[in-house]
Order: sequence, then C-alpha cells, then structure tokens
Amino acid sequence: MRLNQRTLELAGYLLFLAVILALPLILDTFWLNRISKYLVYGMLGVAISLAWGYAGILNLGQGLFFGMGAYMLAMSLKLASTTSLNQGSDKPVPDFMLWNAEPGAITDLCCINKGSFLWIPFQNQWFGVAMGVVMPTLLALALGFAMFRARITGVYVAMITLALALLVRLLVIDAQPMFNGFNGLTDLGWFAIGETSFDPYQVHTYYLIAIALGAVLLMGRWLVNSKGGLILQAIRDDENRARYLGYDVARYKIFFFAVSAAIAGLAGMLYVIAAEFASPTFMNISFSVSMVVWAAVGGRNSLLGACIGAILLNVVEASVSETESLLNAWQLIIGAIFILFVVFLPRGLAGLGTALTERIGRQAR
Amino acid sequence: MAEVLFIGLSLASILLLIALGLSITYGTMGVINMAHGELVMFGAYVTVLGITHLHLNFFLCLPLAFIVTGAIGYAIERLLVRRLYGRLVDTLLATWGVSIILIALIRVEFGLAFFGVHVPGLGPGLQNVPIPAILSQPVALWEGFVFQPYRSFIIVATLGLVVLTWWILSRTAFGMQVLAVSRNRTMAACCGINDKRVNAWTFAYGSGLAGIAGVMLSGFKTVFPDMGTPFVIDGFLVVVVGGVGSLLGTTVSSGILGELTGFIASVTNDILARAVVFAVIIAIIITRPRGLFAFKGR
Repeated sequence: MRLNQRTLELAGYLLFLAVILALPLILDTFWLNRISKYLVYGMLGVAISLAWGYAGILNLGQGLFFGMGAYMLAMSLKLASTTSLNQGSDKPVPDFMLWNAEPGAITDLCCINKGSFLWIPFQNQWFGVAMGVVMPTLLALALGFAMFRARITGVYVAMITLALALLVRLLVIDAQPMFNGFNGLTDLGWFAIGETSFDPYQVHTYYLIAIALGAVLLMGRWLVNSKGGLILQAIRDDENRARYLGYDVARYKIFFFAVSAAIAGLAGMLYVIAAEFASPTFMNISFSVSMVVWAAVGGRNSLLGACIGAILLNVVEASVSETESLLNAWQLIIGAIFILFVVFLPRGLAGLGTALTERIGRQAR
Repeated sequence: MAEVLFIGLSLASILLLIALGLSITYGTMGVINMAHGELVMFGAYVTVLGITHLHLNFFLCLPLAFIVTGAIGYAIERLLVRRLYGRLVDTLLATWGVSIILIALIRVEFGLAFFGVHVPGLGPGLQNVPIPAILSQPVALWEGFVFQPYRSFIIVATLGLVVLTWWILSRTAFGMQVLAVSRNRTMAACCGINDKRVNAWTFAYGSGLAGIAGVMLSGFKTVFPDMGTPFVIDGFLVVVVGGVGSLLGTTVSSGILGELTGFIASVTNDILARAVVFAVIIAIIITRPRGLFAFKGR
C-alpha cells in the first residue's frame, strides 16, 4: 500500500510534466504566454509549500523574494532594450534616469544620478541572472539566521516577513531615480541565451519556463524526501523533540527558507521574461497572501498540489475576468472556496486526491 | 515642534483606533482576524449610506456602525471562527477569505448590481464623507501651530474608547469572564463560564470597535472597497509590538510608532518614514518576540 501511494505520486508528477510539455500542441501563442505566467505562479506555489507545508514557516512576504528576482533580471533587460541604447550616449542608459538626472550630469551610468553606478555590472545579462537568485538567497539566509537562531516561530515569522516586504516595497517606490519608483521597470529587451532571444510570444519561451518548473518540482521532491527533508518535517511536527534528539533545528529551517527564497527569485526572473515588466506591486501584501491561498487550496503539504492549485485558480480567474461583474462574482466564489478549504479540507486538493486513491486502493484489495 | 508632535499624536490615535479592536480579538481570543480592515471599511460605508440615504448626523453613525459591524463580527464568530480555535494560522487564512467576500459584496452592491440595480454610495467607486461643520474649521492658536478640531476629536474619542474598553475588561463581570477565557479556556469553562458565548460577544465587541474606527476614518480618507487592507496590517504590527493581550502595550506602541512616523516624516518624507518604522518594528519583533508589554504567562 505504501509503495502504491508512492508510485501514484510519481505518476502524478510525470502526468503533470507531460501535460505542460504537450500544451504547445493545442494552444496558440497568446494562451501559451498566459499559461507560462501561471506556470510561474505554480513555481511560487512550490516555494510556499516547501516553506509552509514542509518547514512550518508561514512566509507572508514571499513576494519580496519574487520581486527581488524580477528586478534583478529586469535591470539587465532594461539596459538591453533599444530605448536604453538610444539615449544619446554610446552606452545604454535607462530612459527614466534621464528624467530624474542630477542637474548637469553626463548621460552615463557612472554618474547620471547618485545610485546609478550600481547598474553598471547589470550591462552583462548573466550578472542580473546570478543576482536574481543570489540576492533573495542571501537575504533569506540573513533573515533566517536572525529569526530562527532567536527561535522565533509561527505568527511572528509571518509578521516579520510581511513587514520586511512592505519595507522594501516602500524603499523601491521611494527610489525614483534608481528603480523608476511606482512605475516599475517597463519597456525591457528580450532575455537571450547566445544567439537565441526569448520573445515572450514564442513557443521556446514557454518551454524555457515549463522546463524550469519541472526541474524545480523534481528538485523540491528530491529535497523533501532526502534525509534533511525528513528531519525538517520532524521539526515542523515537534520542534522541541527534534531539538532534544540533537538536531540543529535552526540550521534546517534556515536552509529550506533560503531554498524557498531562491525558487521565488527564479520565479520572479521567469515572470519578467514572460510578462516584460517588473513592478513594486510584486511586493504587495495581497500578492504574497494570494500565493498562500493558492498553496492552501492546492494542498500545502504537497509540492505538486500547491503548484497545480496556483495554476488552476489563475486559469479560472483569467477566464472569468473578461467581464467585470463575472470577476466580482468570482471574488465572492473564491472567498467562499477558500474558507471551505481552510475549514473542511486543510490538506487541499492534494489531500483530497490522496484520500480518494487510498479509498480506491482499499476497495481493490 | 508642537505641530510635529500633534501630527504624530494624530497618526498614533488612528493606529490605536484600528489596533484596539484587534488587540481584543487577537490579544485576548487568539484569533487573527484579517477581515478587521474590511470591518473598518464597512464602518466607513455605514457612514456614507447613513448620510446619503437616511440623512443621519455624522455622530449618529458612530453607534450605528458599531451595531452593524458588531453584528457582522458576531456572525463571523458563530459561523466560522468558532470552528478554528487553537488553529491560529488557519484563522488568518479563513478570515482572509472573509475579507475577500466583504470587499466583493460592496463592489457588487450586495448582489444588486447583478440585476442592474445601483445604489448611490456603493459599488467599486470612490466615496467621500463631509465632516461635521463644527469640526471642520482649523483654528490658528499661535504662530506655527494650527488647532485641527477633527483630528483632536479623533484623539479624544480614541482615548475615550480605550478607557471604556479597559473599564469593561477590568471592572465588569463580563470583562472578568473574557480575561478568564483568554488565560485558560478549558479552566474557565469548568468554572461555569459559557466560553462560547463569551467568545462570540468579545469578537462582536472587537468588530464593533472596527466599525467606529471606520466612521472616524471616513472623515478624512477616501472611502473605497479596498481601503481596509493596509489598516489591518498596521494594526497587527502595533498589537504584536505592544505585546499580545496587553491593552496598555497596544496603547503605548501605537503612541511610539505614531510619533516616530510623524517625527521622521518631518525630516525626510512620508514613504521613508513608514519604511523606517517597519524596520523598527522588525527589530523589536526579532529582539522581543513577545512584545514590549507581554503578559507574563506560564
């Protein structure tokens, strides 16, 4: 029976991967672009599930890591856009920096305004890509170190992450000359690997995102089934017992918190590739809470469940949002669905699936 | 300087107004009510509707909003929160669902919009509430200091509500029961207290306070369906910094955070001031997770 459950789970992963890889056969590029954004949300579901479902860390500021990843790549792509190359200098300069230039400054990244020199290394796209993962990971390590060494748990973690996301969002909005403030970074160039550039409305961009999601899912599954992942689940279920058994509780939590942040950073970068903008709204609290909602509906204790939950909810929302009254009705329904899931199905769709297969398995015997 | 202090005090009173209800529902009941901000929003809409349709006086909207949001809070507790005691994070998630529904209800005008009926004052648009004439004229008391009657009214009314809440909690039989249930629910039930009834009424009272906050905020903030979300976050941070379950802590922390915001805003700008305050909040929660005035429990 145990083995059976495991085989079914694996079959679920393979089926999911097969479906997302086969979608280009039936969908046009417009829908593929939409779906690729939802696959990115699915990746965020995986990140939330890893931190919340497996490590018991409710992060209400996951959008911060997502936003950091998005901004890091968007900075590079902004410099790669044709507008940035045509600002009257031989080197790229973002257009909004000219609008916010220091009086009399020369049009060059080095000194057009106070913070602009930080953009210089982003002229290399791969520096942006590296920073998109490194920055969220480093921040998560530092934050995790401060929180989990001090044995802060539960709601307090949620409050700290939430406050930090708000803090960074305000700093970005305030930094008009540096990040174009509230407007965010738009008019970006295309991401490119060698000679291949990733136009968001082409099939290979969809494949880039789908394959990244598949890799993250499989890596996540491998991580939670590894020895460290099992210890992590023991910590989630009884932190003190794990501590008395001699495990360094904080170290495991910090590690998985950082992995979750890195995944969110990667998701942020992929979103920029598909949506061609980065905005401070990525760090809005409502967006971060939405991610938690997706994971809760899909099943917080299942990476795949959380991922599918995110994709499903967004596909439905997109199809009803064509008319405004339908969208409002959908808000009523999603609120009700969410309450019902929390009260009656805390394990989400994935839990429902497990219960069903167990029942079928029992009848078969 | 007096002006800066006054602005800080005014910000503090708004924080306190919102946090007071949360201090009760979260602090004494252990329920994270994410719909609190939407109850504030409902309070504001009671004012809009009361003034446009019933031609009520602004001050009469205060008790009306208290009753309306209190009733909604009572319903939320009876239907939803009651099933989730002891599941702290789940209360957060479920009440988030409630807040989505409450926002959507205002947008669709309680479903009337689906039938093409439109009520002035509801719907997704922006609403404004005129403040009463006797509170609307600023008076220049001396050079560089302008007396703002409406802001002063909020400060005084908020302090009045704090004193009233303190009196209810510590000087009435009902308050004693609330404290007993919050310290040890099972033990209180064993002593013959009807803990379910106490919880329902406590939640209703906390929600009613949100409604009053909504009426007062409607006087100087634009009223719209999504207005509540930032409030609930500020409110929670104030409660956590002050120490969960401590009315004094909530009062002091809103004072500190409000004055800090006002002071920093006077030397830099509003956005940076809020950012600095968030940094201070994070530092306080990391170093003193139980807050400044934590209840010393076992």
